[in-house]
This record gives sequence, structure tokens and C-alpha cells, in this order.
Amino acid sequence: MSKPFFTVYCLIIYAFLLAPIAVVVIASFNAGAFLTFPPQGLSFRWYVVFFNNEVFMRAIRTSLWIAALTMVISGIIGTMAAMFYVTHAGKLKETVRVAMLAPLLLPEVLTAISLLFFVYSVGLGTQNLVGMIVGHVLITLPFVFINVSASMESYDPAWSLAAQSLGAGRFTRFRRIMLPLIKPGVIGGCLFAFIISFDIFTISFMLKGVGMSTLPIQLFDYLRTNFTPEAAAVSTCSIVLTMAVVVISEKVLGLRIHRF
Amino acid sequence: MTEVSIEKLTKDYGQGPAVNSISIKIAEGEFISLLGPSGCGKTTTLKMIAGFEDATEGAIRFDGRDVVHMPVEKRDIGMVFQNYALFPHMTVEKNLAFGLEMRKTPKDEIRTRIAKVLDMVQLTGYSERYPRQLSGGQQQRVALARALVIEPKILLLDEPLANLDAKLREEMRVFIRDLQRRVGITTVYVTHDQAEAMTMSDRVVVMFGGRIAQIGTPSDIYERPANLEVAEFVGQVNIIRGKVGNRVVSTAFGDVPVSGDFADGAELMLALRPEAVELLPVNSGATGASAKVLSSYYSGSLVDYRLELAGGTVVNVQTFPRTRFADGDEVLVHAPADRFWPLGSAA
Repeated sequence: MSKPFFTVYCLIIYAFLLAPIAVVVIASFNAGAFLTFPPQGLSFRWYVVFFNNEVFMRAIRTSLWIAALTMVISGIIGTMAAMFYVTHAGKLKETVRVAMLAPLLLPEVLTAISLLFFVYSVGLGTQNLVGMIVGHVLITLPFVFINVSASMESYDPAWSLAAQSLGAGRFTRFRRIMLPLIKPGVIGGCLFAFIISFDIFTISFMLKGVGMSTLPIQLFDYLRTNFTPEAAAVSTCSIVLTMAVVVISEKVLGLRIHRF
Repeated sequence: MTEVSIEKLTKDYGQGPAVNSISIKIAEGEFISLLGPSGCGKTTTLKMIAGFEDATEGAIRFDGRDVVHMPVEKRDIGMVFQNYALFPHMTVEKNLAFGLEMRKTPKDEIRTRIAKVLDMVQLTGYSERYPRQLSGGQQQRVALARALVIEPKILLLDEPLANLDAKLREEMRVFIRDLQRRVGITTVYVTHDQAEAMTMSDRVVVMFGGRIAQIGTPSDIYERPANLEVAEFVGQVNIIRGKVGNRVVSTAFGDVPVSGDFADGAELMLALRPEAVELLPVNSGATGASAKVLSSYYSGSLVDYRLELAGGTVVNVQTFPRTRFADGDEVLVHAPADRFWPLGSAA
């Protein structure tokens, strides 16, 4: 393929992928009363409506809270699973991998229904967030696992051995040697977990308690009866929020990959 | 300084012993090499001394204290790995400080000890570099410094020169040996390169198939090999066969007196190193067996000849290129009787 043609090709693909997002963002500044494109005049009025809508604000807080918990739990379990997979799984390697990736292969709705039966049969019910967080962790775990095990592949086990010969115990070896070296994978995986959890609909919908809702559920609920640009404003905010999480964690924690 | 004693050490992974009941006594400050082909158990032995592998049976004592059940991080060893295993996310200084921090050494002492060890490995001024900014030889020296700065009981080296090019390898041999002498640390060095083992060690342990074939000084190993396998593994060797009769072996070189108990009439194998043989022109009037030059290889400081003796025995001879012989020349060969070393009866 010639170079200019390839450039155009890439641009078309990007346009195809990003156009819907652009449409939503532009539509959110609509001054009119209905969700239309192109917008009829520019205004921030729907943002004001959104920020004063206590139902949406509560949903966003719930979503952020669940995403944060999911990220931490998934990050810890996924990293441990990846460490086991790369260094200790031996003959079980393929089995472990398939088991870890299974939540990606099963339809989300099946997982959601099974979990619903499960949380009721163990007496947990849906009145607290535990069931929903378990579901979110299940769905996000493969992303942490894939990212961390990829960065573990370039980790030389001799580094741990060297640290051990210098007198470092198990925990010190992990904290001072392995963790800094697989950090890009861990952070990348955690970001995936956060963003995906923020976006999950089916599992949240099945496992939510009465009167509780996350942002995607609230948005869906809202669009069933309303068709105002407020929905676009909510979507735009959630896009900005997700991107902010990515950018900030890159700046603060550093996704810089060590070249060896 | 620490004396290391290995007693009946065995490692069995379940398919027969990888290391089979070996015993070695290493004196304080001694430099010992474990030499053998791959799979002979030398690396497994080193890993057991370090603690990375459990011993199936036997004891490892540092100054009389059995360390078999002691975890690696408590054994107080300095280890240099084949690929150096420098921590890539730390500068040279941080790499060197790591072991000292584990020992809770005060900060200012860490600084002085790092400065001292960097001077010792001639890398002063490199403390802020990352491993990837160093050449192979420099990384090697940092790895050595990192192992030595903690002043361990023993220094363990696992084929540390295998990844270097030939010229650097020879420099590092001398460098490591000098450093070890100056520090006076008990050292175990694993290699499959016999030249490394010979030039660096006080004593060499030759291993085959999980067992020790011979322990001895480099000249013991080279001049008085315990058996055919050792003789062939360490350097080039000619195996000369002959019948024993009246404390004399009759060979293509003539009669060679042998000491030792060998029954008359037994067929004996004698080891003869290529450089022990002298080549003389036929008209020199000297005594010797006559031979014909089959081929010769000139390598600057030395010439290697392939000769055929009367009776069809082929021997390799290495000489200084003072007198050169051409292919097909008739020559006289002579070897002093004391350069023949009996390896035992021919099977």
C-alpha cells in the first residue's frame, strides 16, 4: 500500500470510530429542547440541568465508587493471577489462561443471570454493592490479567534471584524489584478495569438493588422517557471523566516503559 | 573468610540424580571451579550452595554450620549471574546499595562502601548510569561489585563470562582472579570453558554426569588426568596404546617405563599432550621414532601437526614454529618418558 493512501485509509477508520463520539459531544451543546444533530444554537443549558439533577449526580457517584473498588480488587487479584501464570503455572499454564479469560468469552447476560442466582442462593441478595462489585471484578479481571502477564513476559526471573541473593525477602523482592518493572502492565490493567467497570450495563442492571443505579442504567432509564440534550451532556461528561482518569494516571503514576 | 564443606550432596529431580553424592572441601579464600559439559550437574551444585535449589540429600557447611535448610536471603552469599541480572530500573549506585540496604547499613557507610567497590572494579564515575547505558564488560563489573559490596561469606559465579566476546573474556579472567585474590574471598566458579577454569582456579573440580571425576590443581588435571574422559575434556590429548611388560609399555614411541601396578600383558592407554612431543629433522642424529607429516596448521605463535607413526598411529603435535616441516616430510618424534601419563587399561 502506498503511503498517502495508507494515511487516508487510517483517517477514514478513525473518523468512523470517533464520529459518533463527536456527534454526542456537539449535540450536548444544543440550545434546543430536543436531542438533534446538527444542534440548534450553542448553549451550556443542558450541562446546568445535568449538574442540578440529583438523580444523575448520585448515579455518577455510585459508578465512580464501584469503578474504584473494582479497579483495586481486580488489580490485586489479576496481578497475583498473572504472577502465578507466568512463573508457577507449569503444565497448567493453558488451563489457567482460559479460565482467566472465560468471562470475556461468555455472554455478559449469562454471567449476570448466573450471578443473580448465586448472590440470592448464598443469601447475599442485591441490597448491598457486594454482588455488583463481584460481577464487575469478574468482567474486568481478564483485562488486568492480560496486561500484567504481557509485562511479566519481559521480566527476567534472575532479577528476583539476584535480589534474593542480596538478602531481600519475598515481600521486598516484589515491592522493590518486580512491581516497579511490571508497573506499566499493572497500571494499564487497572485503568482498563476502571473504565470498563464505569461502562458496564448488563451486570449492573441485573445485580442492582432497588432504587440504586449506576450512570449507564440511569442514562438508559432517562432516555426511555426523555429525549433532551441532557443525555448528551451526561455522555460527554462521562467521556471527559474517563479520559481524565487515563491522562492523570499517566502523568502521576507514569506509564513509561523501561527499555532494557 | 569462610570455609565451605560439601558432603555427599545429592539432587534428584525424580529421573535419577542430577548431582550424585558429591563431596568437596573448599578452603578459606580458595578459588574453586566446577568444570564440565552442560548437564553435568555443576550449575545445580552451585544453585544448591546458593540455596536456589533444595538438596535431596547431604550437607553444605559454611564454617561448619549446615546451611541446607537456610533460605537464600539468609545465607550471606554474593552471586554473579550469567546475564548479570542487574536491576534495570535502578542506577549503578542503587544496584550496589540494594544489598546494603537489606542489611540496614547506615547511609553514609553505604556511600563509602559503594565508592570503594566502584574504585575496585574501576567504574568510579559511573554511579548515575543505568545498566542499559553500560557495555557488557562494564555490566559484568557492576554485577561483581554488587556481589562483593555486601562482603558476603562466599562468592558464587555462574558462567559470568559466557556472554562476552573473546578478547574481553580473557581480560575479565585476569580481572576477576586479581580481584578475588585482593579481597581474599572463598569463590566457587561454574564454567564449561576449560581455559577459564585452568587459568583462574586454585583447584578445579571436573564433573561428568552428576559425579566428580577429579579434583585437583590445574596442573594435576592437565598433566595427571584421572581418566580418559578428563584427559579428553581438558585440552587436546593423544591416546597412545601399548602392552605392559616388565614395568614398561611398548608403544609406537618406543618403550615407556610406567610406575604403578599394571599386570604384564595388559593393554594400557597413555595420555600424551601435543606440546609434550618434540619434532626433529631426520638428519639431526637424535633418537626418536620416525613419522610422516600428514598436515599442519599454522596459527602464528604455534604450529599444529598431524603425524603418522610407523604402524599407523596418528598423533597431534604442537610446536613453536622455529623449524617448520612441510606436509609429507619425514621427521623424528620424541617425547620424554615422564610426559606419558597412564590412564588405565584399554577396554
